[in-house]
Amino acid sequence: MRTKALLASAAALGVTLAACGSSSSSSTSSGSSSTPAAPAQITVGTTYSGSGAYATSSIPEYDGIKFWVQQENAKGGVFVGAYNKRIPVKLVAYNDLSSATTAATQYNQLITQDKVNIFIADFGSVLTAPAVSLAEAHKVVLFDQTGTGIPFFTPQNKYIVLCDLPVSSIWPDVLAKFIISKKIKNIAAIYDTNDFDASQATTLKSDLAAAGINLSYYQGVPTSTTSYGTLLQTISAQKPDAVLEFGYAANDTPFLQNVQSSGMHFKMVFTVFPGQLLGLFQQQVGNAGLQYTYTYGTNFYVNYPTVTEGLNSATFATDFAKAFPGQLNSLSLDGYNTGLVVQASLKNAKSLSQADIRAGAMAASGNMTTLDGKFVLNSEGAQTGELLPVAQLFPSSTGITLKAVYPASQATGTAVYPAPGA
Amino acid sequence: MLFEYAIVGGILLGIFYALLSVGLNVVFGAQKIINLAHGDVIMLGGYAAWELYQTYKISPIISTIIVVPITVVIGYLLNRLIAPRLGKSSDPEMLSLILFFGLSQVIEALSTLVFGNAERSLPINSIPTAPLKLFGESYPADWWVSALVAIPLLAIFLLFLYRSSVGLQVRAVISDSVEAAVAGINARRISGLYFGVGFALAACAGVWGVFIFGGVSPTEGPAITVTAFAIIVFGSLGNPIGTLVAGIIFGIFYQLAQVYVPSWSNLVPYALVIATMLTRPQGLFGRRQRVA
Amino acid sequence: MPKTAEIKTLQNTGSKTKTLISPAIATLVPVIGFALAIHVYSNELLLTYMAIYVALAQGVNIMYGFTGYLPFGYFGFFGVGAYVSGLAMLNYNLPPVVAVIVGGLGGALVGAILSPLFRLRGAYFAIGTLAASEAIYTIVANPSLQSITNGPYGLNLANYYSSGMAYGSAIALVAISIIAVSYVRGSRFGLTLKAIRDDPYSASMAGVNVPRQRFYAWLISAAIAGMAGSIFGWATSVFYPQAVFDSSLSVLAIVFALFGGVGSVWGPTIGAVLLYSVYNAIGISNPEYFQLIYGLVIVLLVLFAPRGLLGFWNFFAQKIRRKRVTND
Repeated sequence: MRTKALLASAAALGVTLAACGSSSSSSTSSGSSSTPAAPAQITVGTTYSGSGAYATSSIPEYDGIKFWVQQENAKGGVFVGAYNKRIPVKLVAYNDLSSATTAATQYNQLITQDKVNIFIADFGSVLTAPAVSLAEAHKVVLFDQTGTGIPFFTPQNKYIVLCDLPVSSIWPDVLAKFIISKKIKNIAAIYDTNDFDASQATTLKSDLAAAGINLSYYQGVPTSTTSYGTLLQTISAQKPDAVLEFGYAANDTPFLQNVQSSGMHFKMVFTVFPGQLLGLFQQQVGNAGLQYTYTYGTNFYVNYPTVTEGLNSATFATDFAKAFPGQLNSLSLDGYNTGLVVQASLKNAKSLSQADIRAGAMAASGNMTTLDGKFVLNSEGAQTGELLPVAQLFPSSTGITLKAVYPASQATGTAVYPAPGA
Repeated sequence: MLFEYAIVGGILLGIFYALLSVGLNVVFGAQKIINLAHGDVIMLGGYAAWELYQTYKISPIISTIIVVPITVVIGYLLNRLIAPRLGKSSDPEMLSLILFFGLSQVIEALSTLVFGNAERSLPINSIPTAPLKLFGESYPADWWVSALVAIPLLAIFLLFLYRSSVGLQVRAVISDSVEAAVAGINARRISGLYFGVGFALAACAGVWGVFIFGGVSPTEGPAITVTAFAIIVFGSLGNPIGTLVAGIIFGIFYQLAQVYVPSWSNLVPYALVIATMLTRPQGLFGRRQRVA
Repeated sequence: MPKTAEIKTLQNTGSKTKTLISPAIATLVPVIGFALAIHVYSNELLLTYMAIYVALAQGVNIMYGFTGYLPFGYFGFFGVGAYVSGLAMLNYNLPPVVAVIVGGLGGALVGAILSPLFRLRGAYFAIGTLAASEAIYTIVANPSLQSITNGPYGLNLANYYSSGMAYGSAIALVAISIIAVSYVRGSRFGLTLKAIRDDPYSASMAGVNVPRQRFYAWLISAAIAGMAGSIFGWATSVFYPQAVFDSSLSVLAIVFALFGGVGSVWGPTIGAVLLYSVYNAIGISNPEYFQLIYGLVIVLLVLFAPRGLLGFWNFFAQKIRRKRVTND
């Protein structure tokens, strides 16, 4: 009797599933299509991390987008080329609490329920990941802000545009050239075992190997590592001429603190995030612990007086600081720049269809300079515009000043190697 | 060379880890409560240290003392609020696990609203900055200072537990609350007090976590709780002295792993828990009184 | 530990046919509900995740509700399932639905490997499974294993993406998990498990092989988590190890199960559907207070309704029944 009941329910289940499968597959394709009449508004949808591991980076980036929306709406909206007029922008944003799972359902909400015209991912690779296939399947262009993970960019996916940074695997190319140019031979590298940092370390290692330089210390550590005393001791036993640490901000901070508190001195110390969150590092590490440290010089520290889209560097700095006090950093610039990429795409797009919006972004590629530098996309939608220069932090009257030191074309200062000190 | 460095460094850090975990064991002590919010209490201790230093320029060493009475009272009140309800359940241990998970979420949420998301840290010159020179090696200042603060704290705690009359009552309640009640001990009040002491030890550790972890942020709690758990299980649940030894052994293992197999170093706490549970479930210093 | 005795007595008072039909209803109502929901609400991924959570809550139910062992590290099987099935698709080009089953087997295999943890009881077991799952995560995400698991770089299953199929599979998994719970609950196997929970000593004296039965429950539970993880990975498509080895997955599954009431067939389903809806409703409308409200719900639940929603229901049902008995 019991088994009969179970069999009956299984059979009924099969029927229901068949019905459901056929119906839901038809309901999946909800890609937007162009409409002849101009819409009353352009909806821009995104998520941000109101709390959790990514909040420090996500919130300023989100503020950058909000700033862009304010700027455009003050002019009556964003200019849409297809209708040759400005249309007001409506921003829809959900808080994903730094959870990729929550972000995934909210991305789906933005696409299927809110039917946004412009779909923007949250900060970073981890939170961008669940949006990639979703956008591709719904044929919606994903404006990927800072999700620089390698697996996102594939030849068949036409629905992704990386807006603000090059893919992480090419970041260290310039750094490697700098090391080679300085003829530094004994190098120690320590990286966190996550996509963002491990891909950089791998690239650096192979770049240097190609120049005949082998790393004397090359180790991954868990991303949760916050105590580097013993690791530094191991590194220092190799007597390296350069120590490179690839981590997130929460790793770079204790790393630099530990270098300082253990009384060690290296000729060159490189970490990833001081160039993106300099203010935070000044608070946490202090100027003494930062001076002569190397980092990636983001475009936030490069002055672009003439731009083809949006505000130039100086105007952005003053206007943004007025609108969002205390949030001005390279990530809020990234958020604003995402807005500019969207703006350019809408200007160039022949219609509001997603395919045309992507074509609009491709049309901007190579022809646009913003306060984030030159915008160039490869065929997979990945940013390959100007590479991040190597920068160094110098003591100054205001505490600490970041100057790009390599390559010469972008340099605003001269590298001091070896770093002076004890 | 590196081996010796890892051992000495491990001992220094291990003393901090002992302080970090002992509060969890104390909270477990009297009523078998599993405090999944342990890491969040530690986080609050860190914010207390930050506020006290930034607003009143109070040295973290002094803050360690200031947080004690406050957290004892908070812990005591919380205990009196929840213990009766947990006691009525048929499986208070398991229910406390879930209750304190909820509490941990509440603390995390409130901290985010109050303190914001950004990690906060204290300048390294808020404590003595000279590295410790030992056997020709130098160890980071925060390692030896935190160890130096933790040792008297732990000593006072042990004196309280094993040499004071209140401590005697605590131990009586832990070993048999019914018998203790017969002997005229107010088991509820004593358990509540001991629970508060557990909170206080956690908060003290939190002050130093700001240095050892390189800062304090609202979401750091759960990861700390898991590490603390590994240590108290290793040293035996309910046995504070076991926790102290286990903390130091953990510190040494962790530093050795960082030297020889860095990318696997966060396996240390988990491997420790699993190995302990499978080979000696009662922990290093456990008597076979509780079938684990 | 929640008592199922009341629920049992309630059910056993019904006629024989009622006990046979009720599992069918308990299975079909959520299945049909999910099948229809997609026509009303087109956020398919949200519904897929909800179905996955129903299955996970039922998986927790099989373990905790019937044996009293709380698998705090349940997410380990989930993550293993996502990886095993993902790698099965990428390396062997298995069709996703087959890969999901392979993922379930992977979960069960890891369950078998971890079965020595049964030497532990209560909180020790809960924490032991948590440590084991964190250890598995560390191993899978380690760069040394990049050639096998792709290490920290995660998996990209975009070539196998099919949201409709994944949703259908998730619904099938809901059915499988509920059928498993009904089976466990009504069979001799289930009675054994209940006996184990109520009194392990007398159960083993009565000739019941306690460890073996518990081991089977563990395997079923692990297989459900493995399949749930497989479908999650497939539906999410591009994921990093930390997204599938996420301890909050087991916490949510446990809270959902407890909220509804473990030891019953309906409880975890209702708990997961209700609370996950609330989770998303708050998350979308009132994000800054989301975590706070969620935490408070759990605290209040434990303090005032430790047996979950069904506990309430049975409390009232019993009152009414008693009244009726006295009226007769």
